[in-house]
Amino acid sequence: MDKLAKLVTDIGKLWANYSGAYFTGIQNTLILAVAATLAGCLIGLLCGVLNTIPYTKNDHPVKRFFLKLLRVLIRIYVEVFRGTPMVLQAVFIFYGLPYFTDGAVAFKGMAGIWTAALIVVSINTGAYMAESVRGGIISIDPGQTEGAKAIGMTHVQTMVNVIMPQALRNIIPQIGNNFIINIKDTSVMFVIGFVEFFATHRNIVGVNLLYFPSAVIEMVGYLTLTLLASFGLRWLEKWLDGDDNYELVSEDSLAMSAGTYSHPSRKTPFDENSKEFSAKAQLEKEKRERTRQALKFGRPKGDR
Amino acid sequence: MDNVILQVNHLSKSFGTHEVLKDIDFSVSKGDVTSIIGASGSGKSTLLRCINLLENPTSGEILYHGENVVRRGFNAAAYRARVGMVFQSFNLFNNMTVLENCIVGQVKVLKKNREEARQHAMYYLEKVGMAPYINAKPRQISGGQKQRVAIARALAMDPEVLLFDEPTSALDPEMVGEVLTVMQSLAQEGITMLVVTHEMAFARDVSNRVVYMNQGVICEEGTPAEVFGNPQKQETRDFLARFRNN
Repeated sequence: MDKLAKLVTDIGKLWANYSGAYFTGIQNTLILAVAATLAGCLIGLLCGVLNTIPYTKNDHPVKRFFLKLLRVLIRIYVEVFRGTPMVLQAVFIFYGLPYFTDGAVAFKGMAGIWTAALIVVSINTGAYMAESVRGGIISIDPGQTEGAKAIGMTHVQTMVNVIMPQALRNIIPQIGNNFIINIKDTSVMFVIGFVEFFATHRNIVGVNLLYFPSAVIEMVGYLTLTLLASFGLRWLEKWLDGDDNYELVSEDSLAMSAGTYSHPSRKTPFDENSKEFSAKAQLEKEKRERTRQALKFGRPKGDR
Repeated sequence: MDNVILQVNHLSKSFGTHEVLKDIDFSVSKGDVTSIIGASGSGKSTLLRCINLLENPTSGEILYHGENVVRRGFNAAAYRARVGMVFQSFNLFNNMTVLENCIVGQVKVLKKNREEARQHAMYYLEKVGMAPYINAKPRQISGGQKQRVAIARALAMDPEVLLFDEPTSALDPEMVGEVLTVMQSLAQEGITMLVVTHEMAFARDVSNRVVYMNQGVICEEGTPAEVFGNPQKQETRDFLARFRNN
């Protein structure tokens, strides 16, 4: 029991002296995670879309060659950045670029560290997202593409209007996954001197050796961040899915609009004088009238 | 011959070593309502999908007003906008409402303004009896309703020919009627239609031309009276007999 009491006092002591530092750490973690996740999503989106451009043997050989080349390049990018530790990628880029350019390209000062960290986390996230986006696109029923093609849409129009809205909805859980991973894994950026939440811990315990109490603060802090992110994403998904109900267009507008839409070269469909609709049209009209009455007198909305 | 819209010459299609279509010759003229009948696996749907370039024919040509559409560099999208298609599985865009489904093609492909497109879409949605449901998403309506929306979507593009790929095969028996009624009224209006169907009553009563396909070839074709009343080939007689017995 007195151990617990000691822990509380130690945490209190840490908090009194370093709460500002912890908050700066949290702030840096969040900024980096949000920015890198967004940038990573854009990279992933670009790769996923380029990766799924279809080609057939009827296409021009040059076009086919470039599309194949593109797929190979994206494949290499994904495999390399998904298959190596991010901590190593950070070292590789932060020290590698100055090494090769004799210091002409170097990440100097705080701005340099931020830039390097952002680049590393973004391209790492991008590699994962590329596969998620590709998966999201190929998971959409081919019938959707055929339906779009059948009304004359080009590949770009099909992607923009039909496939991507559905694919993006499906990969939101993946985006959330990557965001939460990034909140935690940005901690490895301490190797290039980036001071985020975990690096703050290292700096503080280096002075006072209160390893465990500080770790408790870190644990609670990270869990709070990820839980908040989780809730936020769930809410976003729900909001995007919209209402489960729909309203039948009300009786008034139906009554107003019936027969008012006319085809330029043909007559209105429910005009009993038009020659193609004789007895059958009359029947149809009565049926519609019944529907209209049903709508008017208390058929529940949304009932079909 | 001025009225010929589509002319199919020596069309063949193989999936690997399996030859699904063998040397098909066939044409569609303005105002024709042609039914393609035949057993499952006889190549009916593949023929339709080749005509709309959803499948690449292995050999042969498809002439649209005399222009071969099966060649490298042909603008397939512009051609498809003129040749509509209704699918067995509806293929409505799941991310859009009923009304949006019928507008998007007009706005994006035909570059109409939105209001004009909406009016036009409403005309056809009303015609197929789906006007009250314009705000529903495809997942919220029944199969028969989906198919009627799909027909309105195809019609809203003002196509020259409308291809139907087994439009009632995925529907419950009680929903088949509502879709066939819509198709019948289109036929009476003189819209050119090419219908792959298992509905023999539709083929006999609504279409003015019937094509019987068997094992990748056109076995027999003629008016409904000829094909149903006096079939010339034994295969056709066997096929029709099976349907009469059911």
